[in-house]
Amino acid sequence: MKKFVITNNPLVKEKLSEYIEINYFDITYLDILKKVRDKVHKGYKLLTHPLSGSLKPNETPYKSIIIGHNNDKLDMESLMIIESSIQTAEKFIKDKNTPNWNEKILKDFQVIDISLIEQLVKEL
Amino acid sequence: MRLELGKINIKDVQFGSETKVENGVLYVNKEELITLISEDENLKSVDVELAKPGESVRIMPVKDVIEPRVKVEGPGGIFPGVLSKVDTVGTGRTNVLKGAAVVTTGKIVGFQEGIIDMSGPGADYTPFSKLNNVVLVCEPKDGLKQHEHEAAVRLAGLKAAKYLGEAAKNVEPDEVKTYESLSLLESVNKYPNLPKVAYVLMLQSQGLLHDTYVYGVDAKQIVPSIMYPTELMDGAIISGNCVSACDKNTTYHHLNNPIVEDLFEKHGKELNFVGVIITNENVYLADKQRSSNWSAKLAEYLGVDGVIISQEGFGNPDTDLIMNCTKIEKKGIKTVIVTDEYAGRDGASQSLADADPLANAVVTAGNANEIIKLPAMDKVIGHVEPANTIAGGFDGSLNEDGTIEVELQAITGATNELGFSKLTAKGY
Repeated sequence: MKKFVITNNPLVKEKLSEYIEINYFDITYLDILKKVRDKVHKGYKLLTHPLSGSLKPNETPYKSIIIGHNNDKLDMESLMIIESSIQTAEKFIKDKNTPNWNEKILKDFQVIDISLIEQLVKEL
Repeated sequence: MRLELGKINIKDVQFGSETKVENGVLYVNKEELITLISEDENLKSVDVELAKPGESVRIMPVKDVIEPRVKVEGPGGIFPGVLSKVDTVGTGRTNVLKGAAVVTTGKIVGFQEGIIDMSGPGADYTPFSKLNNVVLVCEPKDGLKQHEHEAAVRLAGLKAAKYLGEAAKNVEPDEVKTYESLSLLESVNKYPNLPKVAYVLMLQSQGLLHDTYVYGVDAKQIVPSIMYPTELMDGAIISGNCVSACDKNTTYHHLNNPIVEDLFEKHGKELNFVGVIITNENVYLADKQRSSNWSAKLAEYLGVDGVIISQEGFGNPDTDLIMNCTKIEKKGIKTVIVTDEYAGRDGASQSLADADPLANAVVTAGNANEIIKLPAMDKVIGHVEPANTIAGGFDGSLNEDGTIEVELQAITGATNELGFSKLTAKGY
């Protein structure tokens, strides 16, 4: 199965490109989830949970999700998970948008985000 | 497996020339404790402060809370696989400094969370405001990476708790409580007419600031397994989970798991508490499938009639929770799940990121999105700057007068998913 990461985390692009194909986009957390939903409709399946980590969707700006090619077949379980994840993220963002964090804090969020998938990517 | 917990009630904590317990007062030799913790070359400086119930003190950002304990009789030592050898613990006698705790603080990352107010409205939301706290303020050496910084603060807290616990070794407890689990066959023979119940304890296991350790092993790397409940009481499970302050399980929670406590209370009377199934909450969906398959398989193998399942953290653990619940229900075993809610500030939104009709018995520990205004305190221990950059806070949440407006999720233990708090909701 061809696997790759959909991410808006520049640190993932920088550090993990030698292990796995990285599709990097300079878009929001929510838009990453929506991009993954598009992929699921096109026959890809989720390999990691979209709401990985306990950081809230209106707290961290970064999200990295590993998906795999599912022979162009729609994986219903992936679709259910990504849809409810989008719903959850929208619920948080509706109450309060992600703050404009300073550079140092953004770096910390990048480090947490990569730590959620780094070991996995190296073992895949 | 049989454990006696010798509870020594601590009603005050003070600095003194010798670390000891006398007449319910814990005296702490500050210099000795600082010297011990400063042995870690990754820490540039360590300070120790005291915070007592009712004081106008705010502790933040809190990383972990740990209860001081010491093995008095029986194999092994406290925190096996981390500070002591990996002997199997949970038998013999353990003494506890009840009413005291070590609290660790540290600015490991810029955004932070974890508030303990020792008085005022915030104090009602955290059980740790009722304790006599020995607070470690740890500063890392320059340039220390987040992973090493987290490990240093985690170990500092455990070492301090072990150090203080040792002062309880030769003290006569105020109360001794005995907990005993028989082997499965013996237990079933002893209580043939009682329903058999197991506890499925889900452990946060995802990455930096999201980890839990079982006898020193990173819980990401375990497959579900069976433990005697008393192993928890000797520190077989410790927390490295610093994210989502309201619903993370601190080491204190693991030592004092209220679900274990309540199941023991009903054991031999209303039910037969046969043991704990531990499982993890990994990011990889195949891991979630494997672990939930295994927890269901173990529940089936134990032949239990019912299980209680507790989760830890926000978001994707909801999926593990529902997988555990549905797979165990499909084995013909009744389940009760324990969780908290993110139902929006108005409480009107869907609470969990996953759901299933089989999850028809749910205990909630409250809505973490609810807003609370915390008054200024005379003293802040730790780092006040993260107040603006705290989960559940928002721009300007630290006001000029020192008040903070945040969601409950910023308060340590506010909606703890073991139910170690006062919040809940009832539906009929």
